[in-house]
Amino acid sequence: MSMNVVEASGLGKRYGGTWALRECTLAIPDGHVAALVGPNGAGKTTLLNLAVGLATPSAGRVTVLGGRAPGSPVALDGIAFVAQDAPLYKNLSVADMLHMTRNLNHRFDQGYAEARLAELGIPLNRKAGRLSGGQQAQLALTLALARRPRLLVLDEPVAMLDPVARHDFMAIVLTAALDDGVSVLLSSHVLTELERVADYLILLSRGRVQMAGDVDDLLASHRVLTGPAGEADRYAERPVVHVRRAEAQAHLLVRATANDPVPPGWEAHPVGLEELALAYLREPGAAALPGPTLPGPARGRHAESSEVTR
Amino acid sequence: MYSDQHLRVSDAEREAVSGRLAEHFAAGRLDQAEFDDRVRRAMSAKTRGDLRGLLADLSETGAPAGPELGRGGGGTPGGGPRGPGSPIEFRLDAASGVPTYLQLVHQVEHALRLGYLTLGDQLPKVRDVVASLAINPNTVLKAYKELETKGLTAGRPGQGTFIQATLSQVGLPELAGLRKALLGWLTAADGAGLDEDGMVALFTSALRDFHERRGGSRARGGAASGETEGVA
Repeated sequence: MSMNVVEASGLGKRYGGTWALRECTLAIPDGHVAALVGPNGAGKTTLLNLAVGLATPSAGRVTVLGGRAPGSPVALDGIAFVAQDAPLYKNLSVADMLHMTRNLNHRFDQGYAEARLAELGIPLNRKAGRLSGGQQAQLALTLALARRPRLLVLDEPVAMLDPVARHDFMAIVLTAALDDGVSVLLSSHVLTELERVADYLILLSRGRVQMAGDVDDLLASHRVLTGPAGEADRYAERPVVHVRRAEAQAHLLVRATANDPVPPGWEAHPVGLEELALAYLREPGAAALPGPTLPGPARGRHAESSEVTR
Repeated sequence: MYSDQHLRVSDAEREAVSGRLAEHFAAGRLDQAEFDDRVRRAMSAKTRGDLRGLLADLSETGAPAGPELGRGGGGTPGGGPRGPGSPIEFRLDAASGVPTYLQLVHQVEHALRLGYLTLGDQLPKVRDVVASLAINPNTVLKAYKELETKGLTAGRPGQGTFIQATLSQVGLPELAGLRKALLGWLTAADGAGLDEDGMVALFTSALRDFHERRGGSRARGGAASGETEGVA
């Protein structure tokens, strides 16, 4: 189980004179729902396309499913990719989409697909283009899961969906992760909801990886300190990520665990995933990366602190 | 059946109805315009009556409408017969800042203190929690592991997770009596013009005095803290 589903070192992609992704080094361990987060244009789609073999690197290298080349037979068989906006042939019926996907793939679980669609109330004879947005997303997801992948890659899967459809879509992704042990890598620019969905986070900013790691470890290794603004500079020697300061009061996001001492006159608060990600995105110079990203159990230095219950 | 047409509804109930409307839409009983309109009305509904009207003309082939509406409201703890499955259902508060797995742990402990859960009761199945809340399976597993480490639950292979210890040393009848006494106190405090924050402040301060007089022993985890959470 200590395989990395995606591993990159010095990975870069240049389109013309512009680097869409550069010096990307990361290792996403197996068995996670990993979220790739970042503002528009940060390089999320580029990284996903490189991982599934739809693009070739301009620099560095990327491997998938424990060292395989993207696009190799094992990788093609083991990875299912749903691109942005649920790509379907709008004029084909649902049944025809199933038929085609079955014929284009090595492995396709027809029974699973039909059972899922029946559960969802999606009629087989309807044209894909006539389904609601939520149903189209569910159909694309069903086709991907019926291939019984080891890694499911989703590019902005819920961006276009209403809250109910978003919830239902993620519920199916997450039950598949539980039932079949599918690893998931999904990109999103929506930060809310990620905390309950993802247990591994990769923050991309301006084409570089800014933060990566197990969500519990990241949260357990950061605290917000609130105290008098006049003293904020005294803690400059601490690893401060981000400062929000008013005339009297300052909030410092620092790298510290619940066990680290709190300066007198200051209060320490735990930090949420959204607040943490926003703070890093506002400080492009700051980075929180795991040590050398070698294959193997990359679980880390903060494993003990994540067990602390406050 | 008693009439609860005028009872105010919560966000959870509004969302439950929206979810069911989505099922009817998926099944073809509503077209897109009707669906959008009804969801909008569900989200602005104020009473149970408003919500019922939105589902009244839709035949129920799946689960019946009754039990889901109004579940999780302030029912009597421990009241009613217990069917198969778990007596509790989890909810999440995204704004609380409390890590998701800890929210689940706290809800089980809270339910144990208040008697919603007793020895031998089953916790919701991991898969059901994942599906109903759309949360990461590892989060649920982590919460259940934590409860097991605390000695509160035990897993039975192939069956699920069951309560094997209780937090409340006080029986249900005594708990009900204490609750009644507290309600009397609340009425008196209200009559004296104290608002809710004032009551909590007074209770907390009295609790602190009580502990100090006892010689600083913090008897947490007993009935006292259970009642505190019940009030707040």
